[in-house]
Amino acid sequence: MTPTEPGLKRANFGRSRLPAALLLPQLLILLLFFFIPSLRALFQSFLLADPFGNNVHFIWLDNFSALLARPEYRESIRTTVIFTLAQNVITLLAAMVLAFATDHVLRGKSLYKSIVILPYAIAPVIAGVLWAFLFNPAVGPLAFVLKGLGIRWDPNLNGDHAMILVILASSWKHICYDYIFLVAAILALPPSLLEAAAVDGAGPILRFVRIGLPLMGPTIFFLLVMNFVYGLFETFAVIDAVTRGGPAGATNILVYKVYQDGFVNLDLGSSAAQSVLLMAFALVLTMLQFRYIERNVNYDL
Amino acid sequence: MSTLRRKVLAAGLAAGWLAAGASTAFAQRIEIQWWHAMGGVLGERTEEVAKKFNESQQKYTVVATNKGNYDEVINSAIAAYRAKRPPHIVQIYERGFMTMLLSDAIVPVQDLVSERGHKVDWSDFVKPIAGFYSYKGKLMSMPFNSSTPIHWYNKEHFEKAGFQKPAETWQELEKQLYAIKSKGIAECGASLAGDYFWSLIENYSAINDQPFATKSNGFDGLDTEFVYNKTSVVGQLTRLKKWLDDGVLQIAGQGFNPEMLYTSGKCSTFVASTAAHGSVERNAKIPWSATYLPWEQGNTPRNSTIGGATLWVLKGHKNDDYDGVAAFMNFLASPELQVWWHKVTGYVPATNKAYELAKQEGYYASNPTREIAVLQLSRGTPTGNSLGFRFGNFTQTTFALREEVEAVMAGKKSPQQGLDDSVRRGNEILRQFEKLNAGKY
Repeated sequence: MTPTEPGLKRANFGRSRLPAALLLPQLLILLLFFFIPSLRALFQSFLLADPFGNNVHFIWLDNFSALLARPEYRESIRTTVIFTLAQNVITLLAAMVLAFATDHVLRGKSLYKSIVILPYAIAPVIAGVLWAFLFNPAVGPLAFVLKGLGIRWDPNLNGDHAMILVILASSWKHICYDYIFLVAAILALPPSLLEAAAVDGAGPILRFVRIGLPLMGPTIFFLLVMNFVYGLFETFAVIDAVTRGGPAGATNILVYKVYQDGFVNLDLGSSAAQSVLLMAFALVLTMLQFRYIERNVNYDL
Repeated sequence: MSTLRRKVLAAGLAAGWLAAGASTAFAQRIEIQWWHAMGGVLGERTEEVAKKFNESQQKYTVVATNKGNYDEVINSAIAAYRAKRPPHIVQIYERGFMTMLLSDAIVPVQDLVSERGHKVDWSDFVKPIAGFYSYKGKLMSMPFNSSTPIHWYNKEHFEKAGFQKPAETWQELEKQLYAIKSKGIAECGASLAGDYFWSLIENYSAINDQPFATKSNGFDGLDTEFVYNKTSVVGQLTRLKKWLDDGVLQIAGQGFNPEMLYTSGKCSTFVASTAAHGSVERNAKIPWSATYLPWEQGNTPRNSTIGGATLWVLKGHKNDDYDGVAAFMNFLASPELQVWWHKVTGYVPATNKAYELAKQEGYYASNPTREIAVLQLSRGTPTGNSLGFRFGNFTQTTFALREEVEAVMAGKKSPQQGLDDSVRRGNEILRQFEKLNAGKY
């Protein structure tokens, strides 16, 4: 579709009031739940204040410099990078394999799809509690299996184990999201190209890798961005239920630290500074993605 | 569809009118909002407290509302206060004392109750409770649920190993637990409670009369500094780490309740709050009992310290409302209510009179373990090291301590290194509080 078609011409809307009115609800929601809180967080990040707000000192950038000087905060950044990268790759790869297999499941295709999508319907906290229980070294059935295999599994003491656990739990929770988009993208692939390749002797995997994947570029790029957003901001509940950021901060990713310091420790200034920094990281990351990855994405089908 | 909507709307309006009518019918009763953090059975008991008070008089209705756990309650109260719609009374954990005291958002309880003509014997409150929550000799908030850790044990395991009960000192106890483990009587000697920082570190420090911080653990000034990295707390953590490595101490971890490791008979002992009585009585399939927390060989044990929460009165209400709040606080201080609360929850009675009353009734003859906490709290005269802890941002310093202790348990740091780092982080947090509240304490 090209912009010269009549449906998209500006003149068709007559005046600009209708589009403005249609945009208004969403803009209001953004204003109330995003812009105002963000500005308040920005403001708060320059303050040293008691939680009740009766005693407020303006301290310029002290909250930021204190944060960056702390080894715990730098460690949290490192943890976040590892966590989001691993979660992104695992989620996307697993969803890709499952989506690719969808076409090749012959019986019970709708059952297969339902099962893959099911985790999306489970509340993150419940999912987290289940994972924590299944892999609890004292009582968890899967932990016993691991121990049977000779692995000294203990996410309560071993930070790497805890990290693996939260990566798996949060990926598992998000695979279905990627899966739905990938299945739709696969359905949208032009059959003519695939059939031509088949006639030329390419097998299903070769067709998928050489023709399907490049054509699905826009979807994959979109999912990449969404997975980072998910990993950076929405994995809070899983972390809270599975490890509470422990042991010894091994899974204390930035968004969980914002919660810990603000909500539990009542250090609002530092928490606000952290959320400002987190937002800046996310912005920079998204911009980098658009700049370097989107170049290689072809939107023309 | 639209008729259905209209019907729903009409029903809603009708309900609204009814509710409005109902509230005008009781207009003479003043409503007192009380936000608390007690869930489950404790929540039901808390509602009962309000009900008992409401039935005892005609003028006020106390409405008890559960606002989630302690963190959620303090956050709700802060948000409500900032929105100028605070509850009258809010239950805040012991670690929030300094935050509340210096918030400029509270009405001191003892002054409020006394000014409104109620006669409460303030000197009768159990020392470590009164000490923890008093400022310049007066109670700032009303003690509500106070507990202290005690030493739970499995009688059968100890008898099988040839011991009467857990030893009084850590040194002897260690031998017992290792014997129990090596004889194969139990899988582990002790289960580590989630609040070990309170029971095994802070209380250890108090009972053994070790300074946790300078300035009498913070009572004498905001410029207090943590010093627990220079006391026998280092030895305590070294011991716990050794137990953990040898499988004598077990961590339940996320997804599982450490109390279950004890009540299921897997671990022989469990150092945890006396408030666990309710659930241990209900869940334990073992011959359970309890005794005092151990102490270091050669030391004279001091009192243990409290945990739990108190009720704070918030500013921002009409004068008449505070008459009701004062009446309710007076009701809470009565020995009869204290004894009832003590029996149904396992928390300790806050006053000596209530304790005497329970004793006269013969309650401890049939429930001996319920007396341990009271006796342990009132053992001897509290010293500057055992009266309690008074730190600003206490939740935050505790969080740093826990993170560092976890690093020690994970083998990433030595006990000395972990506690040094914890003290360094804690002192930074204390300085921030001092900077914010300079001249206010």
